[in-house]
Amino acid sequence: MRIDPIVTIAKREYFSRVKSKGFWVATLLLPIAMAALTILPSMIAMKSRASQRLAIVDEVGGYGAALAAKLVEEEKPAAVAAPGVEPRKPRKEETAQFKVELVARAGDRAAQRTDLDRRVLAGEIDAWLWLSPEGLAKNEVEYHAESVSNFMTQSRLSGVVSAVVGEARLKAAGIDAVQVSTLTHDIDLETTRVLAEGSRQEGGMAGFFLAYFLFFLLYMVTLLYGQQVMNGVLEEKSSRIVEVILATVRPIELLLGKLLGIGLAGLTQLVVWLTTMAALSAPAVLTALALLPEDVKMPQVGLGLIAHFLILFLLGFALFATLYAAIGAATNNVQEAQQFAGFLVVFLVAPMFFLIPIINDPDSTMAVVLSMIPPLTPMLMMLRIAVKMPPLWQILAAYALTTAFIVFLIWVCARIYRIGILMYGKKPTFQELWRWIRYA
Amino acid sequence: MVCRFLQTAAGKTRRGWIPYLRTGVGFSGRKASQEESGVSNNLELREVRKAYGDFVAVDGVSLAVPPGAVFGLLGQNGAGKTTSIRMIMDILAPDRGEVLFFGRPRRLEDLRRVGYLPEERGLYRKMTVFDHLLFFAELHGVERRRAGKLITEWLERVELGAWAKARVEALSKGMQQKIQLVGTILHDPDILILDEPFSGLDPIAQALFKDLIGDFKARGKTILFSTHILEQAEKLCDHICLISHGKVILAGELAALKRERGGNVYRLTTSADRVTVAATRGVAEVLDQPSGLRLVLAADADPAAVLRKLVQHGDVTDFRSEVPDLETLFIQAVRHAN
Repeated sequence: MRIDPIVTIAKREYFSRVKSKGFWVATLLLPIAMAALTILPSMIAMKSRASQRLAIVDEVGGYGAALAAKLVEEEKPAAVAAPGVEPRKPRKEETAQFKVELVARAGDRAAQRTDLDRRVLAGEIDAWLWLSPEGLAKNEVEYHAESVSNFMTQSRLSGVVSAVVGEARLKAAGIDAVQVSTLTHDIDLETTRVLAEGSRQEGGMAGFFLAYFLFFLLYMVTLLYGQQVMNGVLEEKSSRIVEVILATVRPIELLLGKLLGIGLAGLTQLVVWLTTMAALSAPAVLTALALLPEDVKMPQVGLGLIAHFLILFLLGFALFATLYAAIGAATNNVQEAQQFAGFLVVFLVAPMFFLIPIINDPDSTMAVVLSMIPPLTPMLMMLRIAVKMPPLWQILAAYALTTAFIVFLIWVCARIYRIGILMYGKKPTFQELWRWIRYA
Repeated sequence: MVCRFLQTAAGKTRRGWIPYLRTGVGFSGRKASQEESGVSNNLELREVRKAYGDFVAVDGVSLAVPPGAVFGLLGQNGAGKTTSIRMIMDILAPDRGEVLFFGRPRRLEDLRRVGYLPEERGLYRKMTVFDHLLFFAELHGVERRRAGKLITEWLERVELGAWAKARVEALSKGMQQKIQLVGTILHDPDILILDEPFSGLDPIAQALFKDLIGDFKARGKTILFSTHILEQAEKLCDHICLISHGKVILAGELAALKRERGGNVYRLTTSADRVTVAATRGVAEVLDQPSGLRLVLAADADPAAVLRKLVQHGDVTDFRSEVPDLETLFIQAVRHAN
């Protein structure tokens, strides 16, 4: 094996990607798309919940007005605040607006209900609530609307109805509702992440999302660049250039050059993304941009985390791209290749089943063992590192095992690759592949 | 079967032997080695064999390409030409036998002195012409700055100077063939190996190829090319090696081969049928060719006696001695090999 041709091949692979417009469009577009995907839905959701026209029929009496008042009043900071207790700030998604119309109970019950349904269908109102004595006895209130999947709105309605009904029931029992509210107020967890470089306050959800985000970013780039290797090999086969190159380059050199060049292109893209992320997640920048409310503690993306992410990308890429290269070499077109590639995706997707258990308990035996299994290491070790830094020996052991596994894979796949790239025609069977490995 | 021929440095045959095929008996070969003559062959295969499973693609092929030769590797499709060439280029490993470059076992760096054009060839469609040629040059170890100069010169020479910055996919097929050829010879190889170079070429590219082969030959370089089109080989080659079913069935200097066979090949036009002609005493073989029958006479036969016999069987309107063309040699050799 010689270094020269490997470098020549790698240079071509790298620059033909990095010099292309598509590469930079993707590099810039992804962060924008991700931002859009997280911000837009909540904006749209807020808009769509801005007003719901709600008809309330109070068959019991005494609740209608209180409900209407409460639904409007909740938009202002808590009125029930007692001295010494900080009022709970309403979150944005809770401040949906209601236009309440109180409908008097009149005429035939069934007829009135039918009429209300008709008004919903006609678009005059969005939904109606029916408080009946028998319903309340069973702690139930009827809600009719064209869509009943808007669970945020429903949970708020149910909360308000519970509060109003509860208050009335307390009053009837001779208990001071305000006092009860003060005494039974929810207690929040103030989360602080303990880190070697200094503990700091951080939202639990934010930590979860960071781990989740890095996990999926790694999944995405590994898959994306792995498939680029496969498509590159297929392109060389179908354009018939491969034998021209083999005149001076050994197949193993071509394979390694390819892995190196495409891997570096992926690394370039990741470095751009991660530095942007690290810069933007610095506390000062966040405050300056006023992107987040003060009480949300963003997890800071440290250099150590980025370094591990990049190492894991390279390991994961080398592992899967080697297999993708063998698949590309053994097949004749993308359709054929995808059938084999399906087997690979299983290993990339499998870690997702362990996502939640590992985030919950990153030191469990299951988490430690699974993160040591080479095809799973890149994704699962990333998750563990993002959630809670595992002991160094575990990280190093996982890296060493994966590296050894990659060397083995390259040895096997180079044999398939060597024979496959010159084979045109029918797709090989697994038996034939086995023969290639044995005799190459 | 072994075939070797000795050459002087000038490329003229001094002494040589050709496997005598008419008896159908293979020669074990007299060792006419380079030590004897002091001249090394540029390229040599020794008893090379390659099998794919049960199918033996190349079965003990030996051939030697002397310096300055235009060497034609001939044979029908599937005869083993491409497999042989791939073994020369170290793309396939022979099961047995040896590949020698410049009179010694092949080294990896020897391949950089070769310009190889495979039968299955192509280019990266998305690369620019200049970058692509630069890539080819670098693969052959040409220093970057020198490569840039060479590329510009070559593009001018093949009249594609204006296309240097264009992507390969923007070029017509004929232009792409020119680029492919330039990529093969950019590093000024000592040996050119072309596998079916004329297949699928448009006439302009074909003319360019022929010019180039002539040019390389004039500069004393060695050229090996494979083809199944005998007329082409006849015009271009000075040495041939004929392969059939993985075995060498005829090899040697073309002129010498023709001379050997020239004395007893006759062209015949007669009213007698082919079977009668073949049964005539002194006729070793009858070849049915589009331009008429060719008779190969037995070594000890007297042409005049044969003609007298033929006249008895039918009206003979034409009977003349002929230098056999490559096709005649080919058919004869194939028939004897079978």
